[in-house]
Amino acid sequence: MSLENPFQDPLRFERRVPECAMVIFGANGDLTKRKLLPALYRLAYERRLDAGFAVLGISRTAMSDDQFREKMHDAVKEFLEDSPFDEDVWNAFAQGLVYMAGNFDDAAMYPALDARLKEIQSNRHTGGNVLFYLSAQPSQYIPIAQGLAAANVGKGDGWRRIVIEKPFGHDLASARKLSAELHSAFEESEVYRIDHYLGKETVQNILAFRFGNGIFEPLWNRRYVNHVQITAAESIGVEGRGSYYQEAGALRDMIQNHLSQVMATIAMEPSATFRPTSVRDERSKLLRSIRVMKPDEVLQNTVSGQYGPARIGGQDVPGFRQEPGVKPDAQTDTYAAVTFFVDNWRWAGVPFYLRSGKRLPKRVSEIAIQFNAAPLEIFNGDETTTAPNLLILRIQPEEGISLKFLSKRPGAGMQLRPVSMDFNYGSSFGERSPSAYETLLLDAIIGDATLYTRQDMVEASWTVVDAIQHVWDETKFDFPNYAAGTWGPQAADDMLARRGHVWRQP
Amino acid sequence: MAAAGTVSPDRILHDMAELWVSLGKQGEGQAGVLRACSMTLVVAADESDDAQSIGETIAALMPEHPSRAIVIRLRVEDQRDLDARVFAQCWMPFGHRQQICCEQIEITASDASLPDLAAVVLPLTVPDLPVILWCRSPRLFHLENFPRLAAIAHKVVLDSAQFPDPAAALEELSRALAAGHTLADLAWTRLTRWRELIAQIFENRAQLANLPLVTDISISYRAAAAPTTAYYLAAWLNQGLDKIGAHPRMHFASEAGEPSGRLSLVELRVEGKPAATASIALAEGPAAELRVGGLLSKALLPALTDYSLMREELSIPGRDPAFENALAAAVKLA
Repeated sequence: MSLENPFQDPLRFERRVPECAMVIFGANGDLTKRKLLPALYRLAYERRLDAGFAVLGISRTAMSDDQFREKMHDAVKEFLEDSPFDEDVWNAFAQGLVYMAGNFDDAAMYPALDARLKEIQSNRHTGGNVLFYLSAQPSQYIPIAQGLAAANVGKGDGWRRIVIEKPFGHDLASARKLSAELHSAFEESEVYRIDHYLGKETVQNILAFRFGNGIFEPLWNRRYVNHVQITAAESIGVEGRGSYYQEAGALRDMIQNHLSQVMATIAMEPSATFRPTSVRDERSKLLRSIRVMKPDEVLQNTVSGQYGPARIGGQDVPGFRQEPGVKPDAQTDTYAAVTFFVDNWRWAGVPFYLRSGKRLPKRVSEIAIQFNAAPLEIFNGDETTTAPNLLILRIQPEEGISLKFLSKRPGAGMQLRPVSMDFNYGSSFGERSPSAYETLLLDAIIGDATLYTRQDMVEASWTVVDAIQHVWDETKFDFPNYAAGTWGPQAADDMLARRGHVWRQP
Repeated sequence: MAAAGTVSPDRILHDMAELWVSLGKQGEGQAGVLRACSMTLVVAADESDDAQSIGETIAALMPEHPSRAIVIRLRVEDQRDLDARVFAQCWMPFGHRQQICCEQIEITASDASLPDLAAVVLPLTVPDLPVILWCRSPRLFHLENFPRLAAIAHKVVLDSAQFPDPAAALEELSRALAAGHTLADLAWTRLTRWRELIAQIFENRAQLANLPLVTDISISYRAAAAPTTAYYLAAWLNQGLDKIGAHPRMHFASEAGEPSGRLSLVELRVEGKPAATASIALAEGPAAELRVGGLLSKALLPALTDYSLMREELSIPGRDPAFENALAAAVKLA
């Protein structure tokens, strides 16, 4: 029988974290500097990592271990958010940072990687546990998977897991191909497809809100919910990523992954337990229940948009086609809005409106659940007195939950006015929320895949999105069709108006 | 206000209702105020206790544990005397437009009026929410009528580090626990980071394999005599090791230097196997050094403020079995 640590105290301690090494492919890239190393340092600062925790960074650039440490030191200092930087803690943490230069396409690199991991295992007592993190270009995912498989680095003395960033393919066929290559080195249970949206506290709080409280779930169905709006708006443009973005677009970049995962979290059935398999099974079932549009339904139920130039706050803002690296006749969607229906008993007939866009008026992500109005209007008021109840789940920037309902105005007469009951996540719980990457990296080290995307979920959402994308690819849109700084094309308003609905202005 | 020397709970509740009306009026035309409450926090303190410090601690706790705070300040006096006032603690979260406010009631009383206090405090507690009593002084804990006040609370928080005799303090806490109170001791709370670091060391399988072989445990402290934290830590370690059949020798040592009462070192040794030693030692400033299997790493172990200790305790409104077991064992060790 294996020995159990007798000192754990779940009432007061955070989750148990095993010893391990982490290999970052693309260690010289932006994601590593801006997100991964700050999150790892923060975990070390919070005493969440094993004393021997090690990071092996790999990229093409030739660098010594010390140069790598120096570079990461500067990056962590620059990009660490909401936290102090402590040199002592860094120095101890940095002892575990090592580096090797290598070309991911070079088969000879992988045996060298294996040898380096054995050295780390011996020096840092990492028990042979390795977390591989693909922070590289998506085109390099398959060569890395093949290299790890050929050198058998995907197997070892301890557990081996691999984390990959989106995009998980650019359509259903490529997603399946990527998955097949990953499976040549790793079991599906060892593949962690990261979606940082799911690591956000408020998205996790949706599960707590729905399944920890008894009063909301009875209302969570077609009988009481009129429709659901999910918005992820960005005020910025493509910020120098024009050449990448013009191949992706908002539908693939946001709706296929982040927003469909959020929708699955909102609409899934309660899972029997809070175990990774149960929760992911329910998410997957929901995604598979989204009705796949027929080609002749697509243009009625979706809107593709692209921003044009505008003047915002006294500054000229370029249109998408004027961004560096973007073709002057690009048909890329910088805005996408879709109407989904879920074919199950709970949600039949309830529209789920999803929209995401760049250069919208502000950065905001939220879910608005609009309930049916009272069946009888007895107060003889104007439209404000018949305003439907709204439940708003704000994901960013002010994480929280608001419930809007009607209340009598003080004084004589029976005048109603809408009021809001707010729960602000940041102010109600004053402690700092961990960043999505802290949460998700820790989950991967612990082996908790609840917030990670499984291949069947990826395939289900690509099935829905491919049906739209195929029609869009064959359509010549009259772009640009919205000015930067506005809430998207008029067609998006029309899409909701056809069902008697209006977009909420977050 | 009620007649001099007495307070009326109804009057206090009325004053609180008026307070919210006036706060609402101040917020008119803006985003208004938001009222938040997750518990009643009763703070019992000596009149000589630093009122400003108590106020600041409560204010700092409010964003995470919004409460109706009832601060009772007791003075040594034979004449029965009570007075009360109500006010609001408000804060504007960064980047928000709406103030969040909690109520605070301050009651000043003489020791002689302690028998009357429970009847005043009980109607002032928020219905359906936990009541936590933070007793900031051993003197109050020893007052004859303190149990009547404690009976209102779902949990009583004390700090045995303030008691003059650690062994006697553990005995008293043990008796209070046996009497049915749910207790918390901030001396135990101070150990959480130490205990968490120790637990984390043994998440490593190689280090865990050495644990049944541990022969000696050393605990050092910056005090003339072993504080209650040292006994708690020893008791907790013994209990953990007992589960896996290890029964090491326990060594307590007083460390020279400024007597802060803090622990300074815990070391788990395996006789004849120095590489298996695991230790945590306070270093310069807030840092601590962890030596495990030849590896050195650092963590922060700052001295904890009342705020951080209470913040942790208020997160656990119910019983803490690990504490209760450690208390029972610590009494025997002391």
